[in-house]
Amino acid sequence: MVRAIAMKFLKFLIGFTLGLMLLVLPLSQFQAGPLAPLQSLAVQIDGRKKPLDTVALETVQKLHGSASYKQADGSKLDYLQTYFALAFNDRDWNNEPFLLFSYRPLKEEVGFNPEQKYFSFQELLSSKSLSQVINRAHAREIAGEDLFRLEREALSIEDRATLLYRTVGDNSLPLVPHPSDAKGTWVTIENAAELYPPETAADLMALEQQVQQGYRFGAAHLDYVGQLGGKLKQSLAELSPMVYPSDATLQREVFYNHFHPFGKAWMIFGLGFLVMLASLWFKPLELYGSAIGLAAAGLTTEAYGFILRMQIADRPPVTNMYESVIWVSFGVIALALIFELTSDKARYYLLSASPVAVVCLLLADRLPVVLDPSIAPLVPVLRDNFWLSIHVPTITLGYAAFALAMGLGHVSLGHYLFANPANPTVKKRLQTLSQFNYRTLQVGVLLLTTGVILGGIWAHFSWGRFWGWDPKETWALIALLCYLVPLHGRLVGWIGNFGINVAAVVSFNAVLMAWYGVNFVLGTGLHSYGFGTGDSQLIVAAVVVADLAIVALTALRHRSRKPSGQPLIIEEVTLSEEAIQAMASEAQ
Amino acid sequence: MVASSRNVHPKILKQFQHLLGSIQLAVPLLVAIIGVLVGATFYESQVGSPTVQNLIYKSHWFGALMFLLAVNLSVSALSRYPWRGPRKIGFALTHFGLVVLIAGSAAVIHISTEGMLLVRTDQGANRLVRVEGELLDFVGPEGQEQQFNLFIKPDNTVSPSQAGDLELLRYGENVITTTNFVEQGEVANSAVKLQLQSDRMNQTLERWLAVAPASYSEVSVGPATLQVQQAQSEAELKAMLAAPPKAGDIPKFGTLLLDSGKTIDVEQSQGQLIELPGGADMVITQVWPDFRLNSDNRPETASEQFNNPVLQVALRDGEKEARWFVFAEGGFEPVKTTVAGEPLDAKALGLANLSYEVQPQPLEDYFRVVIAPDGSRFYAANSSKGFKSGPFEAGEAVTPGWADFRISLADSLDHAVINREVVEVPEDEGLQGEPALLVQTPDGSQQWLPWGEATTLSDADGDYYASFSAQMLELPFGVKLEDFIVERNEGSESVAMWTSQIRLDDAQAGPQESRRVWMNHPTWYQGWKIAQASWNPGDLNQSTLQVKREPWWVTGLTWLGSLMVVVGTAVIFYGRSAMKNLKAALPEEKDEAVSAEAAAVPSAQAKGLDAPLSV
Repeated sequence: MVRAIAMKFLKFLIGFTLGLMLLVLPLSQFQAGPLAPLQSLAVQIDGRKKPLDTVALETVQKLHGSASYKQADGSKLDYLQTYFALAFNDRDWNNEPFLLFSYRPLKEEVGFNPEQKYFSFQELLSSKSLSQVINRAHAREIAGEDLFRLEREALSIEDRATLLYRTVGDNSLPLVPHPSDAKGTWVTIENAAELYPPETAADLMALEQQVQQGYRFGAAHLDYVGQLGGKLKQSLAELSPMVYPSDATLQREVFYNHFHPFGKAWMIFGLGFLVMLASLWFKPLELYGSAIGLAAAGLTTEAYGFILRMQIADRPPVTNMYESVIWVSFGVIALALIFELTSDKARYYLLSASPVAVVCLLLADRLPVVLDPSIAPLVPVLRDNFWLSIHVPTITLGYAAFALAMGLGHVSLGHYLFANPANPTVKKRLQTLSQFNYRTLQVGVLLLTTGVILGGIWAHFSWGRFWGWDPKETWALIALLCYLVPLHGRLVGWIGNFGINVAAVVSFNAVLMAWYGVNFVLGTGLHSYGFGTGDSQLIVAAVVVADLAIVALTALRHRSRKPSGQPLIIEEVTLSEEAIQAMASEAQ
Repeated sequence: MVASSRNVHPKILKQFQHLLGSIQLAVPLLVAIIGVLVGATFYESQVGSPTVQNLIYKSHWFGALMFLLAVNLSVSALSRYPWRGPRKIGFALTHFGLVVLIAGSAAVIHISTEGMLLVRTDQGANRLVRVEGELLDFVGPEGQEQQFNLFIKPDNTVSPSQAGDLELLRYGENVITTTNFVEQGEVANSAVKLQLQSDRMNQTLERWLAVAPASYSEVSVGPATLQVQQAQSEAELKAMLAAPPKAGDIPKFGTLLLDSGKTIDVEQSQGQLIELPGGADMVITQVWPDFRLNSDNRPETASEQFNNPVLQVALRDGEKEARWFVFAEGGFEPVKTTVAGEPLDAKALGLANLSYEVQPQPLEDYFRVVIAPDGSRFYAANSSKGFKSGPFEAGEAVTPGWADFRISLADSLDHAVINREVVEVPEDEGLQGEPALLVQTPDGSQQWLPWGEATTLSDADGDYYASFSAQMLELPFGVKLEDFIVERNEGSESVAMWTSQIRLDDAQAGPQESRRVWMNHPTWYQGWKIAQASWNPGDLNQSTLQVKREPWWVTGLTWLGSLMVVVGTAVIFYGRSAMKNLKAALPEEKDEAVSAEAAAVPSAQAKGLDAPLSV
């Protein structure tokens, strides 16, 4: 007995360790580059103080749509190298094909090669037809008209070009701390004399120039540049030690950027999925424990990521679309793990949850333009840590439960589509899957109900009313009703196992609408602080339509198999009607 | 017959009752609600929240739908009485909780009072709250006052469409009051309609001018002035048609009058030493054309217009020095300040009656129509190009010299009476109007009722005195904005928080109270909740507060319902397994509990699935 438990634990440990190993690879992420001292220079920008590393990451992501830059010769620069190359203007950035331009119809409209993804500043600037579209967009904006997608894309290209122009040879970063006020405005090194004696300002300026000079000497001198950077940082910190962020704070954020926890978690979950699949197919290997261990490792990584983010931002974990998507991936795996641990080798919870989590994390990681990962100050209405930390996580955990049910629904529908439900093994498995689904839906209903009601209580304080039919409120209610209808329909036998699985898949679209659609499709209402500008609607719509088509196909196949003239699932229908009869007689 | 109907009746009733509480009713009802809500949110993104609130969420049919749901929930929960066991308790809690919640939410929407209160730091306490919707208030011929709350629909029709005797036809967003003159009067009163035309600017203007009322005798058109004047005598006619004095003839900064009768041109002698009797002297040190004291009690000029000219002179008589402020308007004595030595003897210096006069400058650009005593018309026009005058006949255009403008007489009346008419104009015509309501009185006549302006509607049976305005509510206390504090995120312009520092003025409660209100942090006063609603980024002296009063039991209902639903749902789903675990923890009851569970659940139904089937 003890030995069996020890074995189980050992397998779990193997998976857990394997997962954590993935985190530390590649090892180079922990090696500080020669320019490391510059990374943790504090910058006061966009309403908070952050390390230069974050500024570099956000700038390169905005310009290039990715965190690294593959140069023409095939060599790759990470975001920090790219940013320094820009800031120290080490090449002809006018003609470097660096700026992301991905929207095809606009490229076609202005006569660019639609296959080309990156363009140089010069190319964009010299295109007359592009500037025409941009001018038209500005004119319409001034007239207060709604912009067409083409025009919005053109404006985003203009923003990118402007940002590049500002970044190249940039020394306009507010690096010099305010002498006394923790929230006071910082100035650039050029303007240091506004806050400090002229000789101090001159020293800083000289140091900054030395750094720039050193960088121009080339790669061999980077260590020297790093040393100078360290000196610069020390002088800046000493100017106003009470105001300048502590080294630990700055290093924490630098570490968060490089550690990239949410970018690694999906790989661990993906591996966990494969191991779980293997445990299903090669039972003698007994890989179940290791799969659980992997999932736990991924979850630990995400939890650590959330803790870091909360420390950096000093607020609850879920405040914008990016964070909610990550939070759902966390919730899905967490719920699946709880279910796995409270049932006997269920497997399907984690098998269904992992792909959902991987998709969420991949979307969050790869679409910085749509799901903005940067940490920015909150709008005033959200500045209430108490409600923000209970209402939003509860609601989004509800979404996570429904996402898990949706995953389970897909696994079940896959069985209906590709296997024969009449086969006793398949039938038994479908029965089990439907039970799992039902348990998950229960959790979702409870969490979403609680979340909506908590939102009502917050609204009572913040907006003065419990319920006001705001679109976000209304859609959360619609989503809840979309699950309550099939759950009640099942009670009277109108739908059976197949129906509940279809409902778990189809009703998730209401969650999607409440979560994403209100912000990105409707774009009205009081929850506007979450509204998006990116154009992901078409892709999302395409995925939804494709998914519904698969459901319809499965339903057709299921119908064709069903013996004519009989209810879908005879056994259950009779049972539940009996139950109702019993109820009725009891009530009398 | 009678017996059989008695037999049928309870059966139908029972069936009806069964239907009311059945899932067979609940599911289609929920589907219908889902459909309505989905439609409403999409419609809202097209037409905006107030419309959808009024047409859907606050409508009677939506209320009826919710009521039906509440009935369904209640009956279904009642039909499961007695509520024994965790599942039934949970069921009753959830379903009754929903009923309470629906009742509470409906009460929040329909019973509570809510509005916006605009307060400013530079104004006194405000107690008038703007409530959503418009108000029609009128007194009919019978003398009874009636009030109606109006809602304007997106198609500009009004709900309700009938208010007492008045039919509310339509709402117009851009309605202007036009003024013209008609020949109806018994008293002689000349009026002319001038047409100004410029080909270069592609512009045509028409303006009515009339001798009476006086406000129509002079109209500004850009930098130029149009006038009409009635000459009572030939001499007056001549004076009116004479060329204006040259601009330099009248001293711009006025003149200073000494006792000796000597006049001093202020502009000419500013800063120069003016000798006074007895070896004293005087210097004009400063002139303020539009004098006022600023917040530091220092003199300054509010504008360059000579609305309230004041000058300052420095006087010296040997050791004695003084500074005087001399006022042109209001007949004030000069304000005298002694700077050094004894006070000056004004009489000895010849300044006892020192006065300051500023005469208005002659108009530079004007076009004046002069009606001669015999009724014939003349014009006098002045511009930078020169002065001209002559007879003014219909059909002849005069070019006064302002760009290529030509002025001609479009119409003329001898017994003119002013006539105002309210008409609706399309907004793109560039005429800035105001909203109004088109009303039909019982005799069928239609009239526009301008927004915020009490108007008389005449009807065959008598007049209606009506006003169409914002719906306001008066608070029992006043709210004064003492300070509006905007915190920005560090180093940026984005707003971190805005806070209203308010003072509550309540005559009955005695001393004033200061409170702070910011997002998520409202304050309560005498049952009213005051919360920060919005602000105006362009004017930081202003803040909009949301003011709300909700009976305590309404809040209580929503909170009670919330608790019941959450607890009930948890009990339905997990009550039984929790009980099971609890019983398992008590060893002596264990066997009994397990066997009871086994009996209650068909063995084929594993955990999880058993739940709904046995309900």
